[in-house]
Amino acid sequence: MLGFDTIEPAAALWLCLAASAWCVVYGIRNWNESGRKQVSRDGEE
Amino acid sequence: MISKAIAILLYLCVVMYLGYKGWQTTKRPTDYMLAGRQMSPWVMALSYGATFVSTSAIVGFGGAAGLFGFPLLWLTFLTIFVGVFVAMVGFGKRTRRMGLSLNSHTFPELLGRRYGSSFIQSFAGGIIFLFIPIYAAAVLIGISRILEISLGVPYEAALVGMTVLLAIYVISGGLKAVMYTDAFQALIMALMMIILLVGTYAMLGGVTEAHSALAKLAPLMPEKLKLGGMEGWTQGARFGSPLWLVIYTTIVYGVGIGVLAQPQLAVRFMTVPSDRELNRAVLVGGIFIPLMTGVAFTVGALSNAVFMEKFGKISIAMAAGNMDKIIPIYIEKVMPPWFAGLFLLGMFAAAMSTLSSQYHVGGTSLSRDIWENVRGRAGSVLSSRFGVTLTVLAALAWAWILPASVIARATAFFFGLCAAAFLPAYCLGLYWKGMTRAGAVVSMVGGFATSMFWLLFVHLKESQAIGLSKALFGMDSLAAGAAKGSSLWLMQWVDPNVVALPISLVLAFVVSSFTQKMEETHVERCFENIG
Repeated sequence: MLGFDTIEPAAALWLCLAASAWCVVYGIRNWNESGRKQVSRDGEE
Repeated sequence: MISKAIAILLYLCVVMYLGYKGWQTTKRPTDYMLAGRQMSPWVMALSYGATFVSTSAIVGFGGAAGLFGFPLLWLTFLTIFVGVFVAMVGFGKRTRRMGLSLNSHTFPELLGRRYGSSFIQSFAGGIIFLFIPIYAAAVLIGISRILEISLGVPYEAALVGMTVLLAIYVISGGLKAVMYTDAFQALIMALMMIILLVGTYAMLGGVTEAHSALAKLAPLMPEKLKLGGMEGWTQGARFGSPLWLVIYTTIVYGVGIGVLAQPQLAVRFMTVPSDRELNRAVLVGGIFIPLMTGVAFTVGALSNAVFMEKFGKISIAMAAGNMDKIIPIYIEKVMPPWFAGLFLLGMFAAAMSTLSSQYHVGGTSLSRDIWENVRGRAGSVLSSRFGVTLTVLAALAWAWILPASVIARATAFFFGLCAAAFLPAYCLGLYWKGMTRAGAVVSMVGGFATSMFWLLFVHLKESQAIGLSKALFGMDSLAAGAAKGSSLWLMQWVDPNVVALPISLVLAFVVSSFTQKMEETHVERCFENIG
């Protein structure tokens, strides 16, 4: 429980760490994933 | 004092150099409004984070954590999961792809072109241009007050000086200058927060020891906060009590969800060349955002244990009842003197990164979404610069004439209005081909009107500060007239988004179900890059 006496703050802290780790893992796994080639209409008005 | 001044001078030299680099490569409107759609993932992610987190997020919300404790970490969780992951993966990729298909340069232009409506573009641009200078004024006042206290610069001179500095590189260098400088400022902020976190835990003997020490302080919670529902800094508030509503509806839900519809953040998704950069930005943002909000809230809460150990008082007593002073007093009384210089630099960086983006998004809304849209002609870099100049001047005027208390509450206006007015139309526009033009218009106008009504007449924090409810009906909030303790009475602490956002969402679904579908070829074009 990381020194907390109730579950709520410990859960919030663990979820923050898990969410951060999830973002890091997602970024590494998809590091070179560009998606399919896209149509660009940049410059058309 | 001299070392602080030298550090700020060096910092400003780097900022001006980066602003110059931005100006040098800004030739076309796409460069000015979207950084040429070629931004690197590191710069994009750091700029996104630095824009999101301003001085008020560190000092204001850090101070709120000094009062309410660890439950604020739920907001940190939302800022990481919703503000980074959902925003970049769920919204960012589709925003970038649809922006390419529709050749959109601003957030209102994306909405307007998605629904084939110049009214939507102008309406969204109008909300941004009218309200973002007030939000910017709040940040400007905050940093000018810090300069006045730390360096003895006269307040009015600080207001003008900060405005001129920012105006030089935002007006000339556009979004490239804004994002390059944001990324540099983000690095300073990250360094400051790491030292602050490590220093605080070290002072209390470690992570577990620090939390235990804070948990034991629960009996010292001030009587007024106990009456409002607080039970302790690690225990949180009683379910359904006024302070529970403040913590979970205004702070956690209001800000945590509101981030998705912030135009100055959404526009950054269109600045990168492919999904690859957004994937990489998730990694950077997933580390940077918890370093900002997570550290501010953790240190804010733990400041109670540190102050108790060193001075025998809890944080709010140390700050003489002013929540906003908890973090500055903590830095001054507890951290080593050299850290005060770094903190000042960090505050400078946080304020400038947010302000520059606010000026830019306000200016492009005026030039691109209102002026050029009404004229029906494509504009130039010059018209965007003119728009940014007017936004800078509007923010300065607001900062000059309004009292700090009103302006600080006006920040909530922008978050509330953006979420209720834009989020359903934006989200459904990216995901639902059946969303109609009429559905989007009714949702945006309905969400805006409901949010405005709630802010002016029901939500006590804003309605009391603005005073319109008192002038018209003789009470600070219409909910205050209900029986004490009833559900209706508790509404005065319920965030506008809790009411306005669902209304806006329901309007979008219902009206879209009964109105004329959009032309199939147009919808196909909108989704051609999405599949």
